[in-house]
Amino acid sequence: MAALAGAALSLVLTGTACSGAGAERPAAAGAPAAVAVTGPLCDLLPTGSEPGNPAALAGQPAEAALQWLPVLTTFEAAVRASELADDLHGGSGVTILAPTDDAFAAKFSEDNLDQLFITDKEKLRGLLRDHLVAGSLSLSDMVAAGGVTTLAGTKLTVTGGGASARLADQADTVCADYRAADARIHIINRVLGNLPTTGGPGGHRAH
Amino acid sequence: MRDRRTTAILSVLLAASLAAITGPTPAYAAEPNQVDGLTVTQGDGYATLAWTPVDGATDYQIERTPVAADNSATGPAVITGVWRPNRQINNSSPTFADAGFNPGTRFQWRVRARFGTTAQPYSEPVSGTTSAPWGEPNVPGENLRTQWETTLAAQYTSDVEEYAYTKAIDDLSDRVRVTEIGKTALGRPINMFVIGYPTPPATPEAVAATSPLMVNCNVHGNEPGDREGCLIMARKLAFSNDARTIDLLSHTTVLIVPTINGDGRAANTRGNSTGQDLNRDYSLIRQPETFSLVQMLRDYRPIAGYDGHEFGNSSAGDLPMLPPRHQNVAQSIFDESQHMIEGHMYTQGAKDGWWPCPYGCNGGGNVGLSEETILRNTLGLKNVVNSLLELRSSGGTTRPDEGNTANNRRRKTYSAMWTFNQFLDYHRANLKEITTARADAITFQVSNTGRIVFRGSRPIPAHPAPHPGEAPPPLDAPRDDLILDNVPCAYKLTEEQYNGERTDGPAGQRTTVAQRLAAHGHKVVKVADGYLVPLAQPERGLIPLLLDGQGVEKLVDGERVYPTVTGKHNGQLVVSGVTCLRDATVTGPVRVRAGGTLIATGSSITGPVDASGAAGVFLTDTAVDGPVRIAQTSGPVVVVDAKVTGPVEVSGNRGEAPLVAANTVTGPLQCSGNTQAPVNIGLSNSVEGPKSDQCASL
Repeated sequence: MAALAGAALSLVLTGTACSGAGAERPAAAGAPAAVAVTGPLCDLLPTGSEPGNPAALAGQPAEAALQWLPVLTTFEAAVRASELADDLHGGSGVTILAPTDDAFAAKFSEDNLDQLFITDKEKLRGLLRDHLVAGSLSLSDMVAAGGVTTLAGTKLTVTGGGASARLADQADTVCADYRAADARIHIINRVLGNLPTTGGPGGHRAH
Repeated sequence: MRDRRTTAILSVLLAASLAAITGPTPAYAAEPNQVDGLTVTQGDGYATLAWTPVDGATDYQIERTPVAADNSATGPAVITGVWRPNRQINNSSPTFADAGFNPGTRFQWRVRARFGTTAQPYSEPVSGTTSAPWGEPNVPGENLRTQWETTLAAQYTSDVEEYAYTKAIDDLSDRVRVTEIGKTALGRPINMFVIGYPTPPATPEAVAATSPLMVNCNVHGNEPGDREGCLIMARKLAFSNDARTIDLLSHTTVLIVPTINGDGRAANTRGNSTGQDLNRDYSLIRQPETFSLVQMLRDYRPIAGYDGHEFGNSSAGDLPMLPPRHQNVAQSIFDESQHMIEGHMYTQGAKDGWWPCPYGCNGGGNVGLSEETILRNTLGLKNVVNSLLELRSSGGTTRPDEGNTANNRRRKTYSAMWTFNQFLDYHRANLKEITTARADAITFQVSNTGRIVFRGSRPIPAHPAPHPGEAPPPLDAPRDDLILDNVPCAYKLTEEQYNGERTDGPAGQRTTVAQRLAAHGHKVVKVADGYLVPLAQPERGLIPLLLDGQGVEKLVDGERVYPTVTGKHNGQLVVSGVTCLRDATVTGPVRVRAGGTLIATGSSITGPVDASGAAGVFLTDTAVDGPVRIAQTSGPVVVVDAKVTGPVEVSGNRGEAPLVAANTVTGPLQCSGNTQAPVNIGLSNSVEGPKSDQCASL
């Protein structure tokens, strides 16, 4: 079902670019130089000439690029809450391993997330540093290196290749190789780091 | 067939285009078990598919293919939904609201039945262009778009974009006044659209007189789907000249609060900037956001409401809903709210293809049922017919699991917009029933009869199969220790309790109990040794939850004040301190001396009743066989559901507006010289004699 849905979504979005509001616009061919993003989730995200497409994000500051990726609202808000934006502008660039909203919901209860965002900001910074790597590394760079070390000092193995890679044997990239200014953004499907799991079914509070 | 053809046909134009897209009757011989009679009707952000059921089908798959103008496919066909019997109340006319697509794009749809897992042949295809976002691109006002719309749902509308959009609508539409009802803890404005035709009434009191309805769009900052639907709906209400919109706005005033929790929205947190879940604060109103909304409810007095949320439960339907279940909510409010949900939303959902269902839909409502701190219950305790709405954010048995993508966002937002529009229609069609339910509720509450339950819900039985068929919300009956059978007449607070500094709420923005009770609109009498809050008033069910020591989330531990006169009393009754009559029979006159307080419920008094310079007078559900004169009262005056054989005079009272409502008076009703003119909050009095001066319109 999920795979079917994914295909459906990408088609819908492609259609939008051509016929939105009845305007005659060139299709994806008119978009800026292509940026190749890879992974099963990419089809669900803005494509072609839609707002937030990969080419449109290239060169934007990382924190601005994050705002265009609809599945990263938790991560994007976490970056703002943690006041870590400076870490996204290091000298040699940065690699951002950004978990999806679904990954955050599986990892943390809503109450726990509010706590991290509002009161436990130091803990939140630690969590985010476990998702940042010095240097702007592409997916193939990481796979070739066989591993990376996060800003928190955690060593992550990187295995696999092709359209996706596996990190620390627990998270997969689901749409990798977004380019932002001095940064690569790889969307992943699990939250890394060693904070206790409080989410999962029932983590979303009623009402 | 008749039902679904009446659905969502908004104009002759649309009807014409419908005819074009539904296509001719196929000239081929149908295959066995092939779905026949497929029609597609375009709604705002969704397409309703309807078809003739196939005998023996266990479910149906809905397939969508993007197509060009000549109907050639521009991409592969995809299953976008599954129809199951428990989606709707009448399985004889299956419908499915396909949504998630970018509105304005063109598709072809097919439907096929399945017998177990065995797929049957697809129907003949039907293609159509989905409705573009409402508003002509070249017409000022109509051409406004939210950030969410212009980014094709990749971004939610930010705070500053909301203010700009809101202001533009305010500037360009005579029908709209945007008013700031308060500020968030961090100082963001909390705006409200006040929408009426040709213009909205000028004052809150004038709005209240139109029996307004309210949509609260975004209390949890991380649940933004309803808010986007609200913003789009506001644009259409502001600028559309279709007959329905004009008719709706000619008969009431629509109140839309897009973002009560602007700080949480900006930070993407559930709570506000202090981490407080605002939907656990509507009774206590510790936070500036909830305080502002409750004050607005007091001043604008919506009679019906919807409160928008999102819910990540994969076993839910499209649109879980729940009425105010707290047992202190008047039966009439609960019943009318249930009627709005099960009578209207279920029926309309079956026509348009959406799946409203009781909260959780499948036993998912684990918490949040009878807390009076939840707006749904707070509104009910304020005699407002209402429902909570969840937009299911997860995948599930009938929708794909899309994550937090544009498709998921659009499906949620347009399903919210469908619900809110249905809510408007319900209010329009059932105004009399809603106002009657409210009047019955208020007269019940002021009578201060029946037990008080601190926590506990009314049962919601399962709707008859097939819908929703599986599990109703949990029973949530009150525990014995949360039931108070011997209900006091009033609560008394000390000076410290009433006016003392509080420690709850954000530092620098804390409010006293006095301020909070005032925000709720509760009537308080200043007495010699403190402050008295009688239960003989419209929010009787809420007061003990705030002021009784047994309250689960109380404000203060107030002193229970019990009735002083309950049986027969022969001769004159003179009131100098606080006298409370309950189910009493007074054979003789009642005289309230200066500074005295009279509270009478369920009683009968020979009369006359004469109060001059009293601290407070509450006369509810009581018969007086003689003249009633209430003059020069320093505090509140409440005369509701009284039967007076003789004249009534309300004059020279110096406190807040006397409440004179739902009374039967055989003589004249004369009101003059009151500092604030008496009000009836929409419950008119039956008066045989003339109504004069300040009471002329009551």
